[in-house]
Amino acid sequence: MADRADLLQGTLDLLVLKTLVLGPLHGWAISKRLRQLSDDVLEVGQGSLYPALYRLEDRGWIRAEWGTSPEAGGRRAKFYSLTADGRKQFAAERSQWRLFSTAVERVLKAT
Amino acid sequence: MGLSIRKLVRRIRALVRPGALDRELDEEVRLHVALEAKELERLHHLSPADARRRALVAFGGVERYKEAHRDARGVRWLGELRQDIRYAARALRRGPTFTISAIAILALGIGACTAVFSVLDAVVISHLPYPHDDRLVQIFERNSPTNQWPLSVADFQAIQAWQRSFTDVGLLRQTDVSVAAGGAPQRLPVGYVTSGFLRTLGVKPAVGRPLGPADDAPGAPPAAVVTHHFAVEHLGGDRAALGKTVDVDDIAYSVVGVLDARYTSLGGRRGEVWPDARLKPPDRRGPFGMVVIGRLKDGLTIADAARDLERVSRREFVVWQASFQDHDAKLVPVSLRRVMLGDAPKTLALFSAAVVLVMLIAVSNVAGLMLVRAAGRWREVSLRAVLGATRARVARLLITESIMVSLAGAAAGVALGTLGVRVMLVVGPRVSRLAEAHVHVRAIVFAVVVALISGLIIGAYPVIHLARERSAAGVLGGERSVGGTRGARMLRAAFVVAEFALALPLLAAAALLLNSVLRLQRTSPGFDPSHVLTVNVSLPSARYSPINGSDTAISSYWTRALNDVREVPGVVAAGLADQLPLSGGNLDENNFDLVDKPVPAGTAQPVTPWTVVTKDYFAALGVRLLDGRMFLPSDTGGQHPVLLVSRSWANRYFPDGTAIGRKLVSGGCTSCPLVTVIGIVSDVTYTHLGDPPEGVYEPMTEGWGRTVALVVRTSGDPAAAIPAIGAALRSVEPSVTVADALPMADRLSASIADPRHAASLVAGVAIVAALLAAIGVFGTLSYTVSMRRREIGVRLALGARRRAVTGMIVGRGMAHAGLGAAIGVLAALLATRWLRSKLFEVSPTDPLTFGLVIVVLLMVALAASWAPARRAARIDPAEAIRDA
Repeated sequence: MADRADLLQGTLDLLVLKTLVLGPLHGWAISKRLRQLSDDVLEVGQGSLYPALYRLEDRGWIRAEWGTSPEAGGRRAKFYSLTADGRKQFAAERSQWRLFSTAVERVLKAT
Repeated sequence: MGLSIRKLVRRIRALVRPGALDRELDEEVRLHVALEAKELERLHHLSPADARRRALVAFGGVERYKEAHRDARGVRWLGELRQDIRYAARALRRGPTFTISAIAILALGIGACTAVFSVLDAVVISHLPYPHDDRLVQIFERNSPTNQWPLSVADFQAIQAWQRSFTDVGLLRQTDVSVAAGGAPQRLPVGYVTSGFLRTLGVKPAVGRPLGPADDAPGAPPAAVVTHHFAVEHLGGDRAALGKTVDVDDIAYSVVGVLDARYTSLGGRRGEVWPDARLKPPDRRGPFGMVVIGRLKDGLTIADAARDLERVSRREFVVWQASFQDHDAKLVPVSLRRVMLGDAPKTLALFSAAVVLVMLIAVSNVAGLMLVRAAGRWREVSLRAVLGATRARVARLLITESIMVSLAGAAAGVALGTLGVRVMLVVGPRVSRLAEAHVHVRAIVFAVVVALISGLIIGAYPVIHLARERSAAGVLGGERSVGGTRGARMLRAAFVVAEFALALPLLAAAALLLNSVLRLQRTSPGFDPSHVLTVNVSLPSARYSPINGSDTAISSYWTRALNDVREVPGVVAAGLADQLPLSGGNLDENNFDLVDKPVPAGTAQPVTPWTVVTKDYFAALGVRLLDGRMFLPSDTGGQHPVLLVSRSWANRYFPDGTAIGRKLVSGGCTSCPLVTVIGIVSDVTYTHLGDPPEGVYEPMTEGWGRTVALVVRTSGDPAAAIPAIGAALRSVEPSVTVADALPMADRLSASIADPRHAASLVAGVAIVAALLAAIGVFGTLSYTVSMRRREIGVRLALGARRRAVTGMIVGRGMAHAGLGAAIGVLAALLATRWLRSKLFEVSPTDPLTFGLVIVVLLMVALAASWAPARRAARIDPAEAIRDA
C-alpha cells in the first residue's frame, strides 16, 4: 500500500468539489472516489469530510438531497451535487491551485 | 441575497430543531460505517464484526466528529448551551442534597447582599428628588472643623444681599406647631419657607402655584403650600385644597399650591404645611436653627461658593459685632446630599462590610461543597472526555452547573432580600430616605452579577483541575483523583479556615455592639424614669401671644392648669420645662463665658444644654439639689438672673472649688446682667445616653413659651394618668394642643433604639456567618470520613481505639477552625477600631468580648465536628475493608 499523505490545509474543499463534477454522490462514495482517484494516497478523515460537506452546502456550492443508494441495498442516503455557484467556485479554486502548485514546484526545482 | 436567506433558514432550523439535524447526521454516519465495513469485508476478507469495528475506528470518535460538524453549523455555542443547561439540570437533580444546600447557602448570602444593596441604592446612590441635586448646598456657620450649626435670619439676609455664587437661596424653619383645617387643632410638622426655598430646590407644586417673591413681602396675605397627604386628609383632595385656609399656629394661611405625593419632606425636613416664612428684620445675629440652602450658578464649584461666603461672613461680622463675637465662625457651603445622608454612609458601610463577609463565607462554603461533589463525579466527567467531548466543553459544563446553582441562589436570594429590606425598614437605622428602599431592577441586576461571579469562583477549581488532569486517569483512578489529591485537600482546608477567619470579625463586631447596648441600657439618665410621664403642650397663639414681653396669659394658664393636674389622682408632682432629657440633637444649647475664667477674645465660648424649668420640674423628674439653694419665687430674672448647674458642669468648670456664687455672661450678651450660679443639682443627660450629663437650668419666670413640656410624677402607672391629665389641661383652655404623651421609660428606650437595632442586625448577620462556617466544617469532615473509611477501618482493625479516631477527626476540624479563628482575631483586632464611634464604654479590642467570641466560635466548630467524628468511630472495620 502506498504511503498515505495528509491533506494540505484548504485542499479538501477543492477535492470534494472535483469528485462531484461528474455527478451526485453520497458521503461514503465521495471518500471512496477520493481514495481511488489518488491511488490510495489521500485519506480523508471522516471527522473532516462531513463538516466540510456541511460547510460547502452552507456556502451554497453544493446541494444535498435524500435519495436511495443501490450499493447500500436501497437504504436512504444523502446525495450531494454541485450547484452553479459550486461549478464556478471549482473552476476558480482549480486555477488557483494550479498556480500555487506550479509555483511551489518551481521553487523546489531551483537549486 | 437569496443565499443569505437560505442560510438564515438553515441556521434557524439548526437552532430550533437540533435533534432533526442530529438524526440526519446519525443516519449519514451509520450508512457511511456500514458501507465502509462492507468494503473492508470485501477487500480484506474480514468477518463482518471485525470489518465493522475497523470501520468505526477509521471513522474516529463519533462524538468528536459530531462536535466538529456542529461547529460547522455555526450555531454550536447556542445549541451547546441548551445542551449544557439540560445536562447540568439533570446532574443537579441527581444530587438534590448538594443542590438544595448550595442554593440555600447562596440564597442567604445573595439575599443579605441584595437587601443592603437596595438600601444603599435608595439612600446613597440615587439622586435626591430635585433637578441637578449636585448643585444644591446647605450653608452652615462653622467655627472649627468639628463644630457647625445652622444659620439665623441675620445670616440668611446677609447672604441674600451679598452673595454672588448662587442662582437662588432659600430659608426653612422647621417646627412642630398646632395646625387646624376645619377640625380640632393637631400638632404637625410645619416648614416655614421663603419663596426661594422651593425655587432653589426646583420643586414646583403639582397643583396651583408656588410661593413667589410677592409672598415674602411684609403685609402680603399669608399663603402656604401643603403636601398631597395633607390636602387629601384635611382639605378634600388636591384641587379642592386650593383657596382653602389652614390655621397654622393661629394664623390663617390660604392654600395656593399642593405638592406632588412624593414630597413628604423638603431638604430633609418633614412638613405637612409649608407656609411663607415672612421674616422680620433681626435685631441680633441669633437665634440660629434655620436651614439655608443655595443652588450653585453654572460653572461654579463648592470651593468657589466657600470663598464667596467667606467674604459675606467678614462683611456680616462687622454688622452684628455687638451680639456675636466669635470671629472664627464662617459661613460654609456643604453639599446638600452630604447633609441629608449624614451618618448613613458610615452605618451602611458597616452593614455592607458585614454582608460582604457573609457572601464570601457562603461562596467558599459552596466552593468546598463543589469540590466534594466534583470528586464524586470525576468518573463521569472523565468518561465524557474519553468519549470525545473536548476539555473546554467539559469545563463549560461544570461552569454551567455552578452558574445555574448560583442563579437559582440569586432568585431565592432576591426573594429573601425583599424580605430583608422590609426587616431593615422596621428595625434598621433611622436614616433619611430609607423608606424609599425597595428591591428594584438595579438590585436584581446586582444579584445576578453577584451570582455569576460566585458561579465562576465556585466552579473554578474543578475546571482548573480538569485542565491539569490527563483525561484517562479519571476512569482508571476513580473517585480519588480529585478529592484525594493533595491540592484539593489543602484547598478544602483553606476554605474552612477562611470561613472561620471571616466569621470571627463579624461575631466580634456583633458582640462588641451588643455589649455596648447592654451598657447603654444600664446607664442611668440621672433619674428614675419609671413613674414619670411627659406631655408636650401648646397654647393657641391668638390669646397667648407674648405681647411686649408680657405673658401673664400664659403664666396664669399654667398656674391654674398645674393646680388641676396636681389634683389628678395619683399625681405626685408636676413641673414644666422647655425641653426634655434625651432630646438627642434637637436641643437648645447656649454659649456662656465664665467671669472668673473668660475665654480669649475672638475664640469660641463653651456651650452647654440650657433648659428653662419651673421649680417643680426637679421634683417631678426626681433630680436632687446637692448644694446651694433651689429657685425661689423671688428669682424672677430681671437684674439678678440665677442659674442651677448640674454636678458634671460644676466639676468640669470648677474642679477645685465650688461653683456656687460664680458669675457668667450668658449667650454672649455683654450688656445683659451677669448670671449667678445658686446651686448644684444631680446630673441629667440631655443629649444621648452615654454623653456627659452636663447642663444648666434657668427659672421659668419671664418669656414663657407657648409650647412647653409638662413632666408629671405619678404614684402608679404613668400611662394610666394620660386621659385625666389631658382633661385637666383642656378644662382651663379647651383649644390647647396636647401631643406626644409618653411615659419617660418609652422615651428612654426610643433614645437607644438606633444602637439596639444596629447591634441586632449585625448580630443576625454574624449568626448566619457562624452557621455557614459550621456547615463548612461539617461538610468537609463528613467528606473526609467517607473518603478515609477504609483507612479508618484498617486502623480500628489494628486496634486503634474509637476514642482516638474521634479525636483524630475532631482534631482536624478544630485545627482548621482554630487557625481560622486565630487569623480572624488578628483581622478583627485591626478592623474593630473602626467601630469605636459606635461603642459605649467598650474598647474595640475588649479582651473579654474577644475571648467569649473565640470560645463560642470554637464551640460551634466542635459541635459541627462531632457528628462526622462519631460516624468515623462507628465504622465497622470488617465492612469498611470489604466494601472498599
